Amino acid sequence: MEYQLKIKEKTYTVDLELDAEDQAYAMINDTSYELGVYRVSDHQIQMTVNGDQVNAWVEKQADGKTIIIEGQRYFIQDLAAQEMGNSSRGRESSQPQEPTTVTPPMPAIVIQVPVVVGDIVLKGDIVAIVSAMKMETSLKAPFDGKIAEIRVGEGDKVMPGDILVDIEKQPHTFIEEQRN
Amino acid sequence: MFKKILIANRGEIALRVIQTCKDMGIKTVAVFSEADKNARHRFEADQSVCIGPADPGLSYLNMDLIIKTAKKIRAQAIHPGYGFLSENHKFAEKCRDAGLVFIGPSPKVIQEMGDKLTARQIMIDAKVPVIPGLSGKEYTLTDMKKKAEEMGYPVLIKASAGGGGKGIRIVNAEEEMKEAMEAASREAINAFGDGRVYLEKFFTRARHIEFQILADQEGNTIHLLERECSIQRRHQKIIEETPSTAVDSVLRKKMGNTACAAAKAAGYTNAGTVEFLLDNHGSYYFLEMNTRLQVEHPITELVTGIDLVRQQILVAAGNPLTLSQEDVSARGHAIECRIYAEDPENNFFPSPGTITCYEEPSGPGIRNDSGVYAGCAVPVEYDPILSKLSVHAETRDQAIAKMIKALKSYIVLGVRAPMDFLGDVLDSRSFRKGEVFTDFIDTHFSLWTPLMPSKDLACLAFIADEINTRPVPAMERPGASNLNSPFHTLGNWRL
Repeated sequence: MEYQLKIKEKTYTVDLELDAEDQAYAMINDTSYELGVYRVSDHQIQMTVNGDQVNAWVEKQADGKTIIIEGQRYFIQDLAAQEMGNSSRGRESSQPQEPTTVTPPMPAIVIQVPVVVGDIVLKGDIVAIVSAMKMETSLKAPFDGKIAEIRVGEGDKVMPGDILVDIEKQPHTFIEEQRN
Repeated sequence: MFKKILIANRGEIALRVIQTCKDMGIKTVAVFSEADKNARHRFEADQSVCIGPADPGLSYLNMDLIIKTAKKIRAQAIHPGYGFLSENHKFAEKCRDAGLVFIGPSPKVIQEMGDKLTARQIMIDAKVPVIPGLSGKEYTLTDMKKKAEEMGYPVLIKASAGGGGKGIRIVNAEEEMKEAMEAASREAINAFGDGRVYLEKFFTRARHIEFQILADQEGNTIHLLERECSIQRRHQKIIEETPSTAVDSVLRKKMGNTACAAAKAAGYTNAGTVEFLLDNHGSYYFLEMNTRLQVEHPITELVTGIDLVRQQILVAAGNPLTLSQEDVSARGHAIECRIYAEDPENNFFPSPGTITCYEEPSGPGIRNDSGVYAGCAVPVEYDPILSKLSVHAETRDQAIAKMIKALKSYIVLGVRAPMDFLGDVLDSRSFRKGEVFTDFIDTHFSLWTPLMPSKDLACLAFIADEINTRPVPAMERPGASNLNSPFHTLGNWRL
């Protein structure tokens, strides 16, 4: 069995020989490991790696797993599983499009939307101010353009991915004309 | 002594106050918002009352409702914790008018110290050194720019009503002044309902040293030594320790005396904190006085052995201090780390959500003041603090080692928490040498990314989780006993 696991931008190839559900031999980049697995809880696994005990904490997420070992967090993605997922669910994550929308980086509450539909904004202009846990963050226009739609009002609760403001991309010449 | 105290707060600090009340045999009443119906603080109190929707303005900041609740449930005193109404003089006044004891200083002191401009003036009059800046009541954008020009950039814009890192902006150049003033003002209006701002010189390389004060109603005022709080992100402390490596016994005595003088000038009663900026020439300046229990109070409790909440309650009940300055001595070294739901890899953005897995560190010399558990929500509406992890050991080196170990065994899944980041800060050469300044994080850790030294092990853990999917029978779990409780008989379950 072979796994292609991705941590940050690097891919790790793991060759796995499964002895039993709780016993395996693994090879990662020429290093071999004798692995014992004991599941303590849904989130905790105690591994025995070449004779040494290692406690690992695992959380499954939609696009990978967060692992905590010795206080360090690792976000790991299974490339094979991802490709399967991508073919059925589209390829949003692997082919990033240039953002055309303004979305908050965290669950937040809208404090202010200082623009109205039809406004011309330049890249970096503040188009929304949100607050999460009492901290304010300004959301800025990702490019020059014209405000096409404002989808939220002050006091609205918003999540990452929610589109707050639609900006219609405009060529620089158009912006120049409008501004003059 | 009070028979029943209402705690007008939430999370870890509400629990902290409940603990001491229980020690003292005082009944406790928790209040909670609809977002907090499953929060720990409401379960641990003797009684709990829902005081409205998640929006703090309608619940935890709703003065009249909280007072009405306290009267209805026949509490005699209200402990405000920190944040929320703790430094609201109107609330303290309303408590007094309703015949309730507000556990804190008088409304007048809260008002004067809470208004940073007034506090500055009181300290100037009392010959307590203050930070150079723009005093006085009238100030415009032009005034600010002129004064900043005179002192030299960078300068700080601070909300007169501000605190806890809210309503502060660094201004590096004239053109940033307008936006900084507006942002600080708006943040202060949202958080405190008062948007006035003022100007202070910004010290790029200074320490934040504060002194814990205790004062009774007869005017006896003592200090409980210093706390070093220089490690900050976004002007909010994240690591605190006592004693400070920058304060020797001579300076400690001098600053302690100034702190007591400042508290006396303010007419202070109850527990409070005098904050100073200490520059690298050994000069110190009054920053502000916090008229409440401080977030980082546990480290003072650990080294002095004095329960500050107990002292607060005793003083509020009219008891004179039984401690004199000579009684106060510290033993060993204590460090606190604030555990926020936030992402150190993404500019410390808050990370609200639901905690799916929660394991606390424990062991000799480890204290964790926590307000959360596995399965509970971390609501977007409130401050993202999950807990305060403190350690106490004989020496600073031992305390650092103990904290690093504790952070490694502190597991939070479901929301991002910064144990890895805090561990790296403590383990850094500069921190170990005690070279901590308020610009520490920006200087040494602005480009921090996790080291992740065991990627192979992490890969193995990923696979281990795939191959061993066998559910764990409840009876086989560590610590499971033969009890007939639902925890044991239900088998696998999730909150």
